[in-house]
Amino acid sequence: MLLDNSQSQHLQSEIAQLEARLLELRAQLDISQYPSPPASHPDQKTAWTIPSDIYKHENIHNNFHSGSGPSSSLHALLLLSDSALPLGSFAYSSGLESYLAHHKPLRANPITSFHRFLKLSIASIASTSLPYVLAGYREPDTLETLDNDLDASTPCIVAQRASIAQGRALIGVWERAFRMSFATPAATDTGAEVAVTAMDDFSDALKSCSDEDNEYDLGPKGHFAPLWGVVCRAMGLDLHQAAYIFVLNHAKAVLSAAVRASVMGPYQAQNILASQTLQDTIMKRIQREWNTEVEQAGQVVPALDLWVGRHELLYSRIFNS
Amino acid sequence: MRQPAMPIRSPFESSIAKPGQGTVVLSLLPPNNPTLTTLTYKYPLKLVPRAPGFIPTPESSALSSSCPSRPVHLYLLTYGGGLLPGDHIEVSIKLEPRTRMVVTTPQGSTKIFKTEPGNANGIKLIKGHRKQMPANQHLADMSQQSLDVRIGRQAALCYLPDPSVPFKNSRYAQVQTFTVDAAAKGDERSSLCVLDWVTQGRTSRGENWNFRFWRGRNEVWATDEKTGKSRLLLRDSVILDDETEDLDISDEDSDEEAGESGLNSHSGRADTPPPQAGLVPLNVIQERTRPHGVVGTLILSGPVFDSLGTYLMHQFNSQPRIGSRNWASSAPSTAPEPSLSTKGDVTWTAARVRAGFVLVKFGAKDFETAKDWLGGLLREEGSIIREFGEEALFCL
Repeated sequence: MLLDNSQSQHLQSEIAQLEARLLELRAQLDISQYPSPPASHPDQKTAWTIPSDIYKHENIHNNFHSGSGPSSSLHALLLLSDSALPLGSFAYSSGLESYLAHHKPLRANPITSFHRFLKLSIASIASTSLPYVLAGYREPDTLETLDNDLDASTPCIVAQRASIAQGRALIGVWERAFRMSFATPAATDTGAEVAVTAMDDFSDALKSCSDEDNEYDLGPKGHFAPLWGVVCRAMGLDLHQAAYIFVLNHAKAVLSAAVRASVMGPYQAQNILASQTLQDTIMKRIQREWNTEVEQAGQVVPALDLWVGRHELLYSRIFNS
Repeated sequence: MRQPAMPIRSPFESSIAKPGQGTVVLSLLPPNNPTLTTLTYKYPLKLVPRAPGFIPTPESSALSSSCPSRPVHLYLLTYGGGLLPGDHIEVSIKLEPRTRMVVTTPQGSTKIFKTEPGNANGIKLIKGHRKQMPANQHLADMSQQSLDVRIGRQAALCYLPDPSVPFKNSRYAQVQTFTVDAAAKGDERSSLCVLDWVTQGRTSRGENWNFRFWRGRNEVWATDEKTGKSRLLLRDSVILDDETEDLDISDEDSDEEAGESGLNSHSGRADTPPPQAGLVPLNVIQERTRPHGVVGTLILSGPVFDSLGTYLMHQFNSQPRIGSRNWASSAPSTAPEPSLSTKGDVTWTAARVRAGFVLVKFGAKDFETAKDWLGGLLREEGSIIREFGEEALFCL
């Protein structure tokens, strides 16, 4: 049968559309493998479909979708995953520096030793902090309680300092840069509005409490994890994205610290960052902590607390943690 | 149909219905006489008070403003010296203002027996320890222990127990909650000293972090009696989980079988460590605790333990710097003697966190090393012995 040119083009574009739809549905199915969070959070539908839509080859010839929702969420996603986001993450090695100092003999094979550390570090950040990210996202109005509870659960000064410094930097970025663009009254998600209000209130509370107050009078601190959840909510990311970037950014920070501590070169670091193993590790940890209440959060790697705490004992330091 | 009348309560009936529950209230009767106004417990839990043998003198105490009351010693016991699967120990203690209590575990380490449904080894092990065999479905349950202590103003708790020793394949969760008076300030604050430590298991049987999971959570809350508001001051939570239960059913089945066959293959020589231990890949918990055989936490707060906290912080901060080099030519001769806090295979850290808490975390190669190290530090500083007597360090 002979088809004229326009008809065949039409068919081709339809096939492309259907294929894209299939991929989208598959991705949704993958996401639904997660245990779902409480039903009150209607933010589950689009998780990973956006990147796959954009980069799908077949989609290039399709109509350009300018749906405001997904594209602004993609924009926010890229902003928050940018390593140039001024949070000062480069100043923290999350215990890597101390770990290396405690394992001098192992440096004969630093890469194997580093792989072990990265795995432990991701497991630990997921078990101690990720529940607070998720809770901050799900219930932005509890930010102050979450901040207090995370402060109470952080066992050493070094980790506390690192978390507070990055949390306050995040408040700064939000207020000075993101708030104008993302705190629009037209937000479709009422949760986003709540998140914006929570950020404003928390920031006010932080400013009104003096820094040199008495040790027993516990004001807000500004820990990173719950603030991250609230900011992601305010910027229209979905919960999976918020959790994934949180853990991925942590992995990036540890890898970048490894490069600067001369454990490995930059290409090797990118290689690890791009690897399927890392993706699987991150997904597995997120899945494990998806329904963990903040009360159940805890340290799964006791040895890591010791390394981080003993960072203060290092003779020379290039990182703050 | 007529409802039966309310039964007359027997005066001999224990006020506690559930097994494993216990309640203690320590009051200070005038003029200065500490008395246990409530003491109840139910099998398999046993709480034994001991007449205070130690009388602190006003000079010996850190708090010169008020004469401290005599500490009451409470032994925390379970039949068989450990917890079987399904056991649920629930102890609630109330220390009224200005009282002091020492809690220890005189039976040695808290043994956590294994949870392996239908495992012949497990049943043999249990038999000697408990007359009553738990029903089969109880075997699958985990053991739990919860301790809830309310510490009034100027009261003090010194809780230095033996470590818990989780046996192979055991499951255990413990929650210890301490509530202090939020309204008390300065020297009137409640004081507490709590040690929580866990070992790799029975090393004589080759156990090396082979349990299913062990979760320990310690929380300190400040509650204002008038407003009823509570605030979390400190939470220390350690989760040691081999994560085998994360796998889906089919995976778990195959895993279970592999475990069973592994068990059977060396059940005949259970007393010797499994051969080729170095070649077997580390399990998840071993990987995360390496190289330690025991990990633990010490929590200190309040005026009674102030000097101890300061001492430990000083000891920590005066440890030799890691990776420092001695540039002096006379290096070997001037190297200081290793002090108590640096000696041995103990890795530790101390931090003055918030609300005046001092938190010490440690890891050591085995129980004896950790015990000698911690006992040594506490004896050298001496304030626990001065305030509570030598028996407070019974387990160390």
